[in-house]
Amino acid sequence: MSEVVLSVAGLEKSYDDVIAVDGLDFEIEKGECFGLLGPNGAGKSTTLAMLEGMEEPTAGSVRYYGAPLPSDYQTRVGIQFQATALQDFLTPFDNLKLFSSFYDDPIPMDQLIEQFRLKDFLHRDSRRLSGGQRQRLLLALALVHNPEIVFLDEPTTGLDPRSRRDLWDVVSDLKADGRTLILTTHYMEEAEVLCDELVILSHGKTLLQGTPEQLITDAGVSDLDTLFLSLTGETLVKTQEVIE
Amino acid sequence: MSAIGRSFRRMKAVFIARNLEYLRDRASFGWNLVFPVLIVFALAVVFSGPPRALFTITTISSDDLPELVEFPGVEAIETDRPKALDRLSRQQTDLVVEVVDGSVNYWVNGNSASGAILELLLTYTETRPLKRGETDGDAIRYVDWVVPGILGMNMMYSALWGVGYVVVRYRQSGYLRRLKATPLTKFEFLSAQVLSRLLVTLTASTIVFVGTNLILDYKMVGSIWLLFLIALMGGLAMITLGLAIACRTESKEFADGLLNAVTFPMLLLSGVWFSLDGSPEWVQMFAQVLPLTHVLEAARAVMLDNAGFADITIHLAVLVGFCIVGMALSIKLFKW
Repeated sequence: MSEVVLSVAGLEKSYDDVIAVDGLDFEIEKGECFGLLGPNGAGKSTTLAMLEGMEEPTAGSVRYYGAPLPSDYQTRVGIQFQATALQDFLTPFDNLKLFSSFYDDPIPMDQLIEQFRLKDFLHRDSRRLSGGQRQRLLLALALVHNPEIVFLDEPTTGLDPRSRRDLWDVVSDLKADGRTLILTTHYMEEAEVLCDELVILSHGKTLLQGTPEQLITDAGVSDLDTLFLSLTGETLVKTQEVIE
Repeated sequence: MSAIGRSFRRMKAVFIARNLEYLRDRASFGWNLVFPVLIVFALAVVFSGPPRALFTITTISSDDLPELVEFPGVEAIETDRPKALDRLSRQQTDLVVEVVDGSVNYWVNGNSASGAILELLLTYTETRPLKRGETDGDAIRYVDWVVPGILGMNMMYSALWGVGYVVVRYRQSGYLRRLKATPLTKFEFLSAQVLSRLLVTLTASTIVFVGTNLILDYKMVGSIWLLFLIALMGGLAMITLGLAIACRTESKEFADGLLNAVTFPMLLLSGVWFSLDGSPEWVQMFAQVLPLTHVLEAARAVMLDNAGFADITIHLAVLVGFCIVGMALSIKLFKW
């Protein structure tokens, strides 16, 4: 059995009188791609923020190898935020150099440039990158210190089909490296392709948990969207619909 | 590498990145240099010639003033004796008058024709005993007086907006949240912002100062190094004030309002465009809590009166106080 990297117990997060996350329990094993699936407002990003150590839970806990999050947790995780601006007028090269300077033993820049195929736009103002180029840069910045766990918050939202496929390839390569990936998405096809384990959230609560195949088989439905519809009356976004 | 070495490396990286961002933003960079130069030249043209067309009398006391003070065409300003005599030596006023125990003390500038005329009028119109004093000193042009104000104003805008507004923009765009997910500390980030903007502010001020002086040849009788120290401390004081404003603000619009609320009183009451001598006492007291007032009073003392370090110590001390309080508040309250 694989080692548990992160374990979540009774996790809750409230903002004033709004409950964003309402009592989650799950474990994430080393080397797996763990997906948090759900529509907008389901609590995916808030849950991810607590797993990243960026937000404090209102109640419950996130444990790293069974212990509280260590003080150097930020050096062990890489985060690709859903919406991140970079400094104006800086190029991908400048940004890689900047973020590399934050760590003691960063991955050589040449290696990152090649791995994330940044060469063609390395010296372009970051504000003029396409969606796919920008996401590849953000992913490279998240990986600059060779982290053990990588968080990806809706990494393909707003991308065209080709850029989406490109990013899937990059994420698959990261999986093949043996990294633990934690991914939020509301695209079921993405979850089916990339994730080993899924938690389906709605209104901050776990609706179902399991492998994509297991969830579909157990429910006797054709796909995750149909499953979600049958559970909540709401529909997830089908990737193909978005593409079309 | 030691912890301090790592901290310095991260701070340097953010410092360089911020400088690159600023230098590549050619519109902002150019405007910071061009705007004050345009103002200096505009004022030099508009206010060319003698500083005042009317006779000006500065009074030290307000009771039983000579009849001359009420004459048509005479403008009267009240202030204390040291300031009044400073004004007289710069020919910003033509006569200084003080009434003490039923006699009238007056001072004229030996180099001022207007002063000689007013002295003659005073002796003809005043029945009380007169006691004469004299100073000397050449007249200063308005441009000599206003240049420190414009440089200070430019520094104020550059420091407050260049840090305050930018940090809020970083926060609103999520860039600060991205930085929070790295080992970069608040202190390192804030220090890099301060140093980067200080470099920009001092460089821009130096270029404008040297460039405009080559053409307008305005008065600069004091130590250039002391003036640089004032610019350094003034820049730091206003940058840390900008950081304190931005440390928790999340909306650019709100930051804009707060920055305007801070800069507008300084623009009006710190003596950028005109002297506050003769304004109500409470206005002058209020002006003393504004950092720009201390920058400008110290800079004018050095540039126009050859003041030494000891003469401007109080202004420098106030600016150091602003720096310490501003930085402490920023580090304490800063939110990524």
